[in-house]
Amino acid sequence: MKITKIKDKVQNSKIRNSLSFKLSMVFIGIAGILIITSMIFVFIIIRKERKEYAEREAENVLVSLSTSIKSDIDNYRNISRLMIAETRVKEYLKTPLHDLTEKISKNASLGMLDYLNVSEGIDSAFIFRNDFWYTTTLYNRLDYRFDEEVMQSKEWVEPLDELQGRASLSLNGNGAIFKSDGKTVITINRAIFDNVSQKQLGYLFLNISTSFIDDEISQINNENICVVTTDGTYLAGNSDLISYCDHLHVPEEITHREVSDSKNRMMLSAIKLKRLPIVVMYAIREERKLLPQELLYIIILLPLIYFICVFVAGLFIRRNITSPVFALTSEISKNSTADSLEKLTLDLPKNELGMIKDTYNDMVDHTSELWEKLIENEQVIQRAEMRVLQEQIKPHFLYNSIETIGYLAVDAGAEKVHSALETLGSFYRNFLSKGDREIPLKREITIIKDYLSLQKLRYGDIISDEYDIAPDTEECIIPKLILQPLVENSIYHGIRQKGEKGTIRISSHMEDGELHLIVRDTGVGMSDEQIEKVLSTDSTDNDDSTATQPGLGSNFGLWGTIERIRCYCNKDDVVKIKSEPGEYTEIEIIINTEMKNWRTVNVQSNAD
Amino acid sequence: MYRVMLIDDEESARKLMRASINWEELNMEVVGEAASGIEAINVIDDMKPDIAFVDISMPFMNGIEFTELATKRYPNLIIIILTAIDQFEYARKCVSLPVFEYMLKPIVRSEVTATLTLAKAKLDEEHAKNEVLQEAEPTDKIEASTIDQIKMYIEANYTDSKLNLTSVAQYFGFSASYLSRKFKQETGKNFVEYLTECRMNAAMKLAAANIKMFKASDEVGIPDPNYFGRCFKKYAGISYSEYVSMKNLKD
Repeated sequence: MKITKIKDKVQNSKIRNSLSFKLSMVFIGIAGILIITSMIFVFIIIRKERKEYAEREAENVLVSLSTSIKSDIDNYRNISRLMIAETRVKEYLKTPLHDLTEKISKNASLGMLDYLNVSEGIDSAFIFRNDFWYTTTLYNRLDYRFDEEVMQSKEWVEPLDELQGRASLSLNGNGAIFKSDGKTVITINRAIFDNVSQKQLGYLFLNISTSFIDDEISQINNENICVVTTDGTYLAGNSDLISYCDHLHVPEEITHREVSDSKNRMMLSAIKLKRLPIVVMYAIREERKLLPQELLYIIILLPLIYFICVFVAGLFIRRNITSPVFALTSEISKNSTADSLEKLTLDLPKNELGMIKDTYNDMVDHTSELWEKLIENEQVIQRAEMRVLQEQIKPHFLYNSIETIGYLAVDAGAEKVHSALETLGSFYRNFLSKGDREIPLKREITIIKDYLSLQKLRYGDIISDEYDIAPDTEECIIPKLILQPLVENSIYHGIRQKGEKGTIRISSHMEDGELHLIVRDTGVGMSDEQIEKVLSTDSTDNDDSTATQPGLGSNFGLWGTIERIRCYCNKDDVVKIKSEPGEYTEIEIIINTEMKNWRTVNVQSNAD
Repeated sequence: MYRVMLIDDEESARKLMRASINWEELNMEVVGEAASGIEAINVIDDMKPDIAFVDISMPFMNGIEFTELATKRYPNLIIIILTAIDQFEYARKCVSLPVFEYMLKPIVRSEVTATLTLAKAKLDEEHAKNEVLQEAEPTDKIEASTIDQIKMYIEANYTDSKLNLTSVAQYFGFSASYLSRKFKQETGKNFVEYLTECRMNAAMKLAAANIKMFKASDEVGIPDPNYFGRCFKKYAGISYSEYVSMKNLKD
């Protein structure tokens, strides 16, 4: 469930970088590591525990078994001592060969048999004289066979001589006396000496059946025990284990080692009996299953619990951190595109995220405050700059000065000067028009009349002016100073270029609800190329840098005026220019006079 | 002949107006000038103008304040605002007052003449009405005790810069011309002369106390120190500052 969820999330790269995804990955990683390490630890501990347990068990078994075998053997040894001390046996040995009778031999045999009867496990006993005559406890001599060759060799009994009568242990009569049924017997053999003369008389071979060991093993009731000799001959117990004791070098204390074959894996413990060439082996097979079942449940349950924890933690993180963070960021990102900064109205708990929200809101407040302050400052600066500009213009000062100079002119009888000043005053008054951008047509006409009468003062009577203003157009509102630049253009680029008397005629009429204003001069006219340039809507043709190029050049003022009308009317085809070079230029402006601003008109008509 | 008064703090503006308009042709004459609203209030009763040109931006009492006062006291007076200040705020204020016309400086003779022609027509019309409706002699006569009351009123109120013959007459319920005549009759002094006397006596006391002229002028009810100075010199024979130094030298 968790995994599929995560898979879905991986699709989305945005989420891949998200905190929740990373956290999930970290949790899963930690879970994996935790489970693997815990399994390893558990495995190691269990193994160790088991091994120790097995070793303890093996020790118990081996010690008890070896102790009982040893005590058994000690027992047999005592019997052997008693046997050689038997007088009939001594007699048999001391009797010279030529005196030896059947009876003596029989007696010796009987003497031994007495001992045999009181102890179990003794299979047979042989007394060898130095001349290799022997007597035995056996009823049937065919039960045993002798290896004559070994018997002939020195090695057979020489070691016994060296022991000075002490008992030694060997198998199968020191390798010369074998049971016919092939069963191995343990032989306690001694050299027999005369008590008085200390002269060596013969040898005792006391063959003990290995069944006594089997008896001891069966008392323990354990199948995994095997008793062998130090040279690896099987004595008793589970013969399967013999294969594991190849070249077993076993000290007289318990050793453990691991052995294995294709079928089994086991711990093999062994001990060599003290001063005896007998080794007891004990094998403990290891369990095939690695772990006990309870542990397996725990190991399965552990990650399950962990995954549940991670899931709960994930849910908690999602509910308390990721989801609110997503909501918060989406809310904040709204602000990044909005026109104005809005406070967050998100409902968040009063925790760290709530603190973020509160801090953000404080920041929004502060930013808005700064913003307002900035705007206010800007407005204050603008107003101040406006005032400075107005102060610089000081029309009040200009007008008063004109009146003062006007009075001086009147006082001196210079009536013409007074008239000129009066016209100049009127021109400026209308020209500035309180800074209005739009004025009635009749005022624009007044401006032109004043302007032309002042220009006539300069250029004499080469200019004459005519007006044909339709009465219904007088109150039409037009952008201020759209005709004056045309008239100026007529003077400087029309009439003055020609050097002859010229007429400027200004007319207006209404046609289809549109105001037509026509300025016509009888000047030098314009070429088609010039007209095209002046009417161009491409500002790059006519900006300041190209204003000096021949052709348009000083017609820049005219082009600028046409642009202004285009802006005002919000369309391009508002001006028509007709011209015949050397004859006339006629510029016609067509304005849609949806009178825009009656308020201005009313105030002006009241104020005038 | 209609009487025209020019109220403007610019002397050249008044002079230009006087010189450039053909008054006789309009059957008008310029009977007086005032350089401030304060001066105008003090002299207007002597001038008895029919038409007043008022500038807006004047010190001590601007044209708007003067117009507010004058329209109350002289309901028949035709007031023409003539100003270099082309501000919407002023225009709006004048629209709310019964101003005959709002004109912008610098003056253009043709415009002024056109306005005056309209004013003349209005005056002609009212004149015709007044001729039909002969001015009735006031019924309640002013007695000597009333004149005493008026004198006391003046002495108590001369510090009010807006006080003049017409305001006092309106306060006591007489016509200004009748009060003026009676006042002269009873006291042997012109009303304006009496008011000025009151103020100048107070001013002399202030001068003796070494009070600066602009402060004294304000305290005696002529807050225009230029006009005050002229009044003082006319009354005392020497200028205020001379009077101050003279008085303080003596002491």
